[in-house]
Amino acid sequence: MDTLAKLNEVFRDVFEDEDLTVGRETTAKTVAGWDSVMHITLMMSIERAFKLRFNSGEVANLKNVGALADLIDRKKA
Amino acid sequence: MSRVQALFSFVTENHPRSLKGLEESRAVAPELFDEVAEKFLGWAAKVHGETGYLPRCVDAFAIFSHDVLMSQARYEADGHYENDSFAKCEEAVYGRREVMDDYLWGVFLTNFMWAHHMDITRFYKDRFISKLPSAPKVVELAPGHGGWGVWMLSERPDATLHGYDVSPSSIVIASSVAEAAGVSGRVQYTRRNALDLESMPAGEADAVICSFLIEHLEEPWRLVAVISRLLKPGGRAFLTGALTAAQVDHIYEFRKESELVLLCEQHDLRVLETISVAPQRLLPKARFLPRSMGLLLQRRKSDMW
Ligand SMILES: C[S@@+](CC[C@H](N)C(=O)[O-])C[C@H]1O[C@@H](n2cnc3c(N)ncnc32)[C@H](O)[C@@H]1O
Repeated sequence: MDTLAKLNEVFRDVFEDEDLTVGRETTAKTVAGWDSVMHITLMMSIERAFKLRFNSGEVANLKNVGALADLIDRKKA
Repeated sequence: MSRVQALFSFVTENHPRSLKGLEESRAVAPELFDEVAEKFLGWAAKVHGETGYLPRCVDAFAIFSHDVLMSQARYEADGHYENDSFAKCEEAVYGRREVMDDYLWGVFLTNFMWAHHMDITRFYKDRFISKLPSAPKVVELAPGHGGWGVWMLSERPDATLHGYDVSPSSIVIASSVAEAAGVSGRVQYTRRNALDLESMPAGEADAVICSFLIEHLEEPWRLVAVISRLLKPGGRAFLTGALTAAQVDHIYEFRKESELVLLCEQHDLRVLETISVAPQRLLPKARFLPRSMGLLLQRRKSDMW
């Protein structure tokens, strides 16, 4: 499964929404409930799902899901 | 466009995840929010320039707030703060300009952009600034960005301030904020560990400001002893601290409000008023309630007073 598809599963799980579909351009503006607190839950779930650990600063200012997917790919490479 | 409007549009556009918190914060006390935000952002605009101040400060705020929440999540998992040594924090955080400048501009905005801190901000204005005696000589321990003390100076043209912070970044940033506020003639900042003031002459300050330093220390009681020593009998202090609230440089884990109250009472400080606040939105299934506490203290004149 590619990174984006796997990320989509994590998003569905965290936001408890089976119909949620995220793409590279998706941002917090278009996902209801994606606030700063939810962002932490999301990042911790991504850490578990992808078996990696984000450093401070890496994920604070991510602009969209595409940037998140690229970061994950870089860290897994 | 007012600075508050500019802030809201910048956050909406560039930091949508921080919008909810910003709205919550203004809702706590809209008038006070606008007053403090206009002031603080106005100073930041003078320091960084009209086109650069929002990206400079709000980006730093977003990173700082994110780091705090991330530390809290790791604290929830581990059950203890990640650091236990002041020396390590000084080396990794306070002493490094590239880390500390962002950190301090981020913290600068938390005074009004964290909803629960709006309550502390109101407490400071109504219960501390407004009760200062005439021509007060004030000491600020760990001014960081300088916002608390500079705000007091801007409200009280008869006041003078001496600030002591261990971080070189603090001295530069607080001085620039004071300059922007037009109060630099009445303030002096010195790079010094607050605990080294144990040897200062006793009883010379009318008031002490010490905000969010105590949880950064290995032996917080030494700070309370310093505050008590600096104050004239009858002098007042504004003290704030964090309880079960993690941050990379939080070392001493206060768990209950009474721990801070007791420390003050043990050092000849009357606890006149306290406030304890927590964020409205917490991490799911949180064990710890991350609190910020504010205390208004008065130096006893004697055992019976
Ligand atoms: C969280 S900031 C607080 C800034 C500001 N007082 C506020 O409330 O927003 C902590 C500050 O404490 C300073 N600091 C940490 N340990 C110190 C010490 N032992 N003596 C003086 N300053 C210290 C740091 O350099 C930093 O500026």
